[in-house]
Amino acid sequence: MAAATDGAEFPCSLTLDIPFPTARLASIALQALGVDKELSPLVRRTLSTVAPEGFQDESVLRTKYVATTNRMLRVAVNSFMDSLALVLEVQEQLDVDVLAAGNAKTAD
Amino acid sequence: MVISIRAPLAIGGRNLTWKPVLLFDLQSHHSITNQPQPNIMPDKEGRHIALGCEGSANKLGIGIIAHDPVTGASTVLSNIRDTYNSPPGTGFLPKDTAAHHRAYFVRVALRALREASITPEEIDCICFTRGPGMGAPLTSVAIAARTLSLLWGNKPLVGVNHCVGHIEMGRAITGAENPVVLYVSGGNSQVIAYAEQRYRIFGETLDIAVGNCLDRFARTLKISNDPAPGYNIEQLAKKGGRILLDMPYAVKGMDCSFSGILARADELAQQMFKSGRTSDGEEFGPEDLCFSLQETVFAMLVEITERAMAHVGSKQVLIVGGVGSNERLQEMMGAMARDRGGSVYATDERFCIDNGIMIAHAGLLAYKTGFRTPLEESTCTQRFRTDEVFVKWRE
Repeated sequence: MAAATDGAEFPCSLTLDIPFPTARLASIALQALGVDKELSPLVRRTLSTVAPEGFQDESVLRTKYVATTNRMLRVAVNSFMDSLALVLEVQEQLDVDVLAAGNAKTAD
Repeated sequence: MVISIRAPLAIGGRNLTWKPVLLFDLQSHHSITNQPQPNIMPDKEGRHIALGCEGSANKLGIGIIAHDPVTGASTVLSNIRDTYNSPPGTGFLPKDTAAHHRAYFVRVALRALREASITPEEIDCICFTRGPGMGAPLTSVAIAARTLSLLWGNKPLVGVNHCVGHIEMGRAITGAENPVVLYVSGGNSQVIAYAEQRYRIFGETLDIAVGNCLDRFARTLKISNDPAPGYNIEQLAKKGGRILLDMPYAVKGMDCSFSGILARADELAQQMFKSGRTSDGEEFGPEDLCFSLQETVFAMLVEITERAMAHVGSKQVLIVGGVGSNERLQEMMGAMARDRGGSVYATDERFCIDNGIMIAHAGLLAYKTGFRTPLEESTCTQRFRTDEVFVKWRE
């Protein structure tokens, strides 16, 4: 997306770098969250995985938001954070190795 | 935000084939238990297993089902549900409902896995509700379903139409082969019959769903939403029956309209709060209102269902959806079907009210015909009509 060139139309921006334990989990989050498009034409989002400085593995989920107003930016980022929290919780408790180790918290 | 949770509903276990469910054989006037199912656990190696995630309205449901490839028998391995109930006088809003589904997804999923005692490797596909329903709750559950699919080694995703889930589960539970289906819930009211690879809509509501009419009337009366507003109306209506208040009867061809009836019921409720008497001076209370509302809207549903039966030449009626658990509706439908020499099939609240197992079941039927939903297309849609689905798994 042409976020960089849209500075005039989309003056409000926020970039979030979310570190994951592994590149695999970062990539899964990217794929799970990337499917749903932003609902508002006043907000644009780009998702990518990047490697932290000095590392090879792309274990950081980089989320760039640009929006026409700060209000739109806040609404979009809040919603993204809600979804991200869900992905993290599912990864933490329902990954294959976690279930195999029986470390998952009991349901009740 | 207030989230009130009732004890999650747990059904099933490893060795459980279909537990007895309500099945009304109205010709013999006996309520009998389910048809005998072969009590054979599908072969561990050969069986197909699906996990289904449902969250189109205020119920979050996750269920795991197994299909035997030889006998075709279905086995419910687990069926867990958690309901978001808003306080009396209010309805559930998309934002709060989505927050509930996100908050409870992991614990419901863990319970479903534990009850089924299976590992992710044994699961063939992850099914989720694509629609119709509320956008935000649908999307929350889809995000979690995608994450599971990716975490568990790219398990295929299967997007399921919510209405088709209800129909397939109703057919599987009751054994009704080719019934006219009345699908009535808080969001949908349709009369459906199967023809040439599609579930065709013969009649439907022109405005709000019948369940929405009942739910909103429960709000007017400020009665509890727990366990469900419709259930509490039904209990109140059982105390009524003394008088039938006059309400509009709105059948238009094969379709129904409920919003005008709701407006009239609300008016009568205001009159009750004010004077407690009808214009004829007769005393009336909430139980009379609930009774009259139920009798009126259910009579309309029975009428359009009967017309569809006559048109299709079917003697079976299958009632699915949350309102389908109303015993008065089942009774009225039964009287009509009996007059026609037919019978009514209904399930109990475990399978009538939204649940994960119906999504798993319908998804697995589609999966076995080769249907897949690619990750990049695994979005949700608030509008997704029953007849859009190509039903490849039926003759």
